[in-house]
Amino acid sequence: MADRRGDTWKRHISEQLRMRDRVQRQAFEEIISQYNRLLEKSDMQAVLSERYQSDGPRGSQLSAADGGMRGDIQQEMSQMRIKHQEELTELHKKRGELAQNVIELNNQIQLKDKEIQRNEAKLVPCLSTQIATLEGDCRKLNTFLQDLERANQMLKDEYDALQITFSALEEKLRRTTEDNQELVSRWMAEKAQEANRLNAENEKDCRRRQAKLQKELADAAKEPLPLDPRRPGNSLSTSPENTEAPMGGVEVRVPSTALHVFEAHDGEVNAVRFSPGSRLLATGGMDRRVKLWEVVSGHCEPKGALTGSNAGITSIEFDSAGSYLLAASNDFASRIWTVDDFRLRHTLTGHSGKVLAARFLLDNTRIVSGSYDRTLKLWDLRSKVCMKTVFAGSSCNDIVCTEQCVMSGHFDKKVRFWDIRAESIVRELELQGRVTSLDLSQERTELLTCSRDDLLKIIDLRTNTVRHTFSAPGFKCGADWTRVCFSPDSNYVVGGSADGGVYVWNVLTGKLERLLDKHHSSAINAVSWSPSGAFVLSVEKGSKAVLWSDL
Amino acid sequence: MADDKDVLRDVWFGRIPTCFALYQDEVTEKEAEPFYLLLPRVSYLTLVTDKVKKHFLKAVKPEDVEEMWFEYEGTPLKWHYPIGVLFDLHALNTALPWSITVHFKNFPERDLLHCLSNSVIEAHFMSCIKEADALKHKSQVINDMQKKDHKQLWMGLQNDKFDQFWAMNRKLMEYPTEEGGFRYIPFRIYQTMSDRPFIQKLFRPASPEGHTHTLGDLLKEMYPAAIAHDGDAKKYQVLIQGIEPLLETPLQWLSEHLSHPDNFLHVCILPVPTD
Repeated sequence: MADRRGDTWKRHISEQLRMRDRVQRQAFEEIISQYNRLLEKSDMQAVLSERYQSDGPRGSQLSAADGGMRGDIQQEMSQMRIKHQEELTELHKKRGELAQNVIELNNQIQLKDKEIQRNEAKLVPCLSTQIATLEGDCRKLNTFLQDLERANQMLKDEYDALQITFSALEEKLRRTTEDNQELVSRWMAEKAQEANRLNAENEKDCRRRQAKLQKELADAAKEPLPLDPRRPGNSLSTSPENTEAPMGGVEVRVPSTALHVFEAHDGEVNAVRFSPGSRLLATGGMDRRVKLWEVVSGHCEPKGALTGSNAGITSIEFDSAGSYLLAASNDFASRIWTVDDFRLRHTLTGHSGKVLAARFLLDNTRIVSGSYDRTLKLWDLRSKVCMKTVFAGSSCNDIVCTEQCVMSGHFDKKVRFWDIRAESIVRELELQGRVTSLDLSQERTELLTCSRDDLLKIIDLRTNTVRHTFSAPGFKCGADWTRVCFSPDSNYVVGGSADGGVYVWNVLTGKLERLLDKHHSSAINAVSWSPSGAFVLSVEKGSKAVLWSDL
Repeated sequence: MADDKDVLRDVWFGRIPTCFALYQDEVTEKEAEPFYLLLPRVSYLTLVTDKVKKHFLKAVKPEDVEEMWFEYEGTPLKWHYPIGVLFDLHALNTALPWSITVHFKNFPERDLLHCLSNSVIEAHFMSCIKEADALKHKSQVINDMQKKDHKQLWMGLQNDKFDQFWAMNRKLMEYPTEEGGFRYIPFRIYQTMSDRPFIQKLFRPASPEGHTHTLGDLLKEMYPAAIAHDGDAKKYQVLIQGIEPLLETPLQWLSEHLSHPDNFLHVCILPVPTD
């Protein structure tokens, strides 16, 4: 809408309308209304005047026309009056009706108000009681909750306290167990010390007695005694009283001839041992077998072979009864067979290097083994587990044992003496060469060692000194495991040489007694003297075995 | 827009001072004084002349009374034209008040319609509104209204209630915004110098190109002689609601604000008085 242009014509129209109204309406409005009012008044006056005229002079002056006119006027007046009265009554009626309506409506309103009040009144107490009960419940629940919380807190505290006491008690228990263990070990140590002391006392006693005896003997020897010609080998046996084994059955004869030369194994033969019963002997070789032989009328008859080892046999031992055979092997394990039925009973594994020697401890329930892995292991035969492992420091080549002591000969030229109970080195003896073999005398008082410096030594265990040294111009120790041994009466020692000769030395004189150098073509690995004293068996690198005797 | 509301009020409350005189040949019992009245421009003669009838019936004998009818200077006045139109057409430039002669006899059957009750006037009024809405809205608005709304329009006119009438009438003055105006403008052009009662044709409020049509465009189309060319003296007066709007007034606005209650724009074209 173009207002600027619209303004002109709109304004024109508004002006025109206003002008028109001014001229046509406003000029005449007042006049016309006044005129009409005057007209009404004059009409009313005319009517009233006519009525008064008719009311005033009654009687005969009235003419018919007047009367008629008056009557007309009167009629008109009365009609008007009637009409007005009717209107009035109607209006009154209507007013009455309206008033009644109003009253009725008022009544209704009051009723409704009362109802509302009643309902409210009903609700209010209801609601207030409900609110009161709910509040009561709420408070009760709150107190209950608080009680529960307190109880919970208390329980938690108690639990914490119990926890602390528990941990304290645990700590105490731990400490007490530690103390207990310490006390037990101390007690054991004390006991060991006691035992050692007792042993030392005993030893001292023994030596004293021996010294006394020797003195008596020396005294006795000064007197000339008739020698018994029938017993040439048994003179001056240094057997003390300690031995219980009857000397009667031992007739040691220095062998002179080879009775039987035979092929013992396919390959090197490393070990040989006579059983304590003296009829059986066992040989072990690089062919992984232990063969059992019986000496029958000067021959070795093959009895059987014990299999089960996975590598070459390094050493053999019978138990003191002769029913079990223990063999150490290059497959890091030692094995036990029953001799009668040739069955493999136990395999003792655990070493991490080849086992070079294994021996029964004197009670036959334990075994000690020495290995290339520089440890010695103590085994229990009932549980078949390794009970102790002792780190020796050097590869162990041979072991012998007494009741108290385990002696091991090592690569580092040392002979170590171990206390079985204390698991520690009691003594060390250094030689000039690598120790290849150990053997105990029958009385367990002397130790025979063979070392790579081609010397055999006898060591007195009580004084720890080298009693005798044996050597020979041709005797050369062939390998690290060359085995030498005592004769059963401990008067002779025998060893095999690298050139194939069997050398026998006399202990008393210290000189070479005999040399048996035929029949072996390669280095001798081991020799064994039968417990009866009659036979000596030697085994060589070249798989041959020779049975010697002096028959 | 406040001006527009004022325009509507001015149009509604427009009055014409009239003097009703009884025809002297009518037999009277007593002298009938003339009766003065301010007639509403927008109403109809028979609707507002009850007082006149009562006044003159006092003077006239009852047996002589037939239907009342009016005439001015010999011309019977058609009651079905709005009073304002009748005045503008016949007596605009004469001295006020407008002198109308009241007759009770010799009803001119050929010139006038009978009007025996208010329902006749109501029927005529409503039919005019419907005709106007047919032109403006294709009768949609008037048909959407309920019967009570139609009644409200009539009662507003009958009882001279501006607010009551316009509460409903504004619906008829609305148009959908995209149209920009009514479909066709409802108008009637009355002339004194012709046989035709009025000119009524289809005319749009805006050209197809979008120019809003003005009063001048309407006259150019319908009665070109009414427009004075430059140089000539003005020959004709163009009257709506008793005033002469400028020729550039938009037709749509005129239809909304200067229409009569029957929603028609009644235009009177008079020759300029020579004296």
